[in-house]
Amino acid sequence: MGRRLTEIGVLAASLLLLAMPLTAHHSFGAEYDVNKPITLTGVITKVEWTNPHSHFYIDVMDAKGNVVNWKFEGYNPAVLYRIGWKKDLMLKPGDKITVFGWQARDGGNWAHSREITLSNGNKLFFGPPAGTGDGGNSPAVEVR
Amino acid sequence: MMRSFIANAVFVIALGALTVSAQSPTKSTLPRTPDGKPDLTGVWQGGSTQRGSWEEANRGVGVGGSGRDPAAAVALSSNDRPTGREGAPYQPWAAQKVLEAFNRRGIDDPTSQCLPAGLPRTVMLGLFPQQIVQTPTQIIMLYEYMNVFRVIPLNAKHPEDLIPSYTGNSVGRWEGDTLVVDVIGFNDKTWLAGTGTFHTDALHITERFTRVNKDQINYEVTMEDPNVLTKPWTLTSTLMLREGTRLEEYICAENNIDPDRYEKLLKEGVKFTR
Repeated sequence: MGRRLTEIGVLAASLLLLAMPLTAHHSFGAEYDVNKPITLTGVITKVEWTNPHSHFYIDVMDAKGNVVNWKFEGYNPAVLYRIGWKKDLMLKPGDKITVFGWQARDGGNWAHSREITLSNGNKLFFGPPAGTGDGGNSPAVEVR
Repeated sequence: MMRSFIANAVFVIALGALTVSAQSPTKSTLPRTPDGKPDLTGVWQGGSTQRGSWEEANRGVGVGGSGRDPAAAVALSSNDRPTGREGAPYQPWAAQKVLEAFNRRGIDDPTSQCLPAGLPRTVMLGLFPQQIVQTPTQIIMLYEYMNVFRVIPLNAKHPEDLIPSYTGNSVGRWEGDTLVVDVIGFNDKTWLAGTGTFHTDALHITERFTRVNKDQINYEVTMEDPNVLTKPWTLTSTLMLREGTRLEEYICAENNIDPDRYEKLLKEGVKFTR
């Protein structure tokens, strides 16, 4: 265990990434699985512009032709507005969108959204990258 | 020969520019208040080094990512340990506790209960703006994240009987061009800087805010807590000016479904720990 953590620490140290500390209010990494990326296209049925996180729901046609309603989580309204979202102009019920994100660990029709492609082709982030808030690549303390 | 001359000239000019930028800020470049102090008033973004408006500074990188690869799995959050930062100097038993929180992927984060993020985390996070309002006798700091505030009287003493609080009791003073803020009176319910970085109510924080030019405040924070740390823990960060940005409401309790979801994961035995 100790050795593995040391290796993770070395890996983290080698990844000098241009990233700014953000905060996610809670651990997306606990709820959603970075190994379950998904891209879905569907029609918006409902949007919740709420704190600490916004949510939207889309109807998606599955492989058997059944319509399945998916729920996606993302940033809170103030953060979304600051990066270009406009509640009265975008993401309205009936709009067709494509969303990229990561599915919930429990395997339900629930996911963490990252990037949304609007019907006009514009792309905007709706949520943070995978793993945000779960503690990152190495613990705050040295582990030997 | 000519090429060598040009190369040398370029080097000398570059060196000159470096020398100029390394000089301490002059009165002509640093915004100051009528009483001659550096003026920290403004809306700032923590943890960033990008100049410009909020939109300009966050467009290229996107909020919380590379902006080029939406699948980028690695982005720092305020509870990640930044690359290159020295390990937090916890006593062995306390380090073990920090590690346990890390292995639980931060589900014990007090902010997931919509509680204030505490210091210095609140100052160093980048997703939400913060505002400083400076007067000759007190400095007000407003934080959009969790909508918390600090009123910092200058040249004052801490009250003798403090009520333990999330953001502590702050008093400030000017040391030259640096605002030094002394904070005590914390409760033990926040994380310092990184998942699981707990502390006790003995926490004593010293912050140093130095505006080095129009766009940037250098932030240095030293945390002392003899109950859990082996020595003072110092971190540095930057605050970047975000002209045109306004602080907004953040009412976290409005629709906070996450604690229930964590309980559900635990109850159903869904594997999420490291």
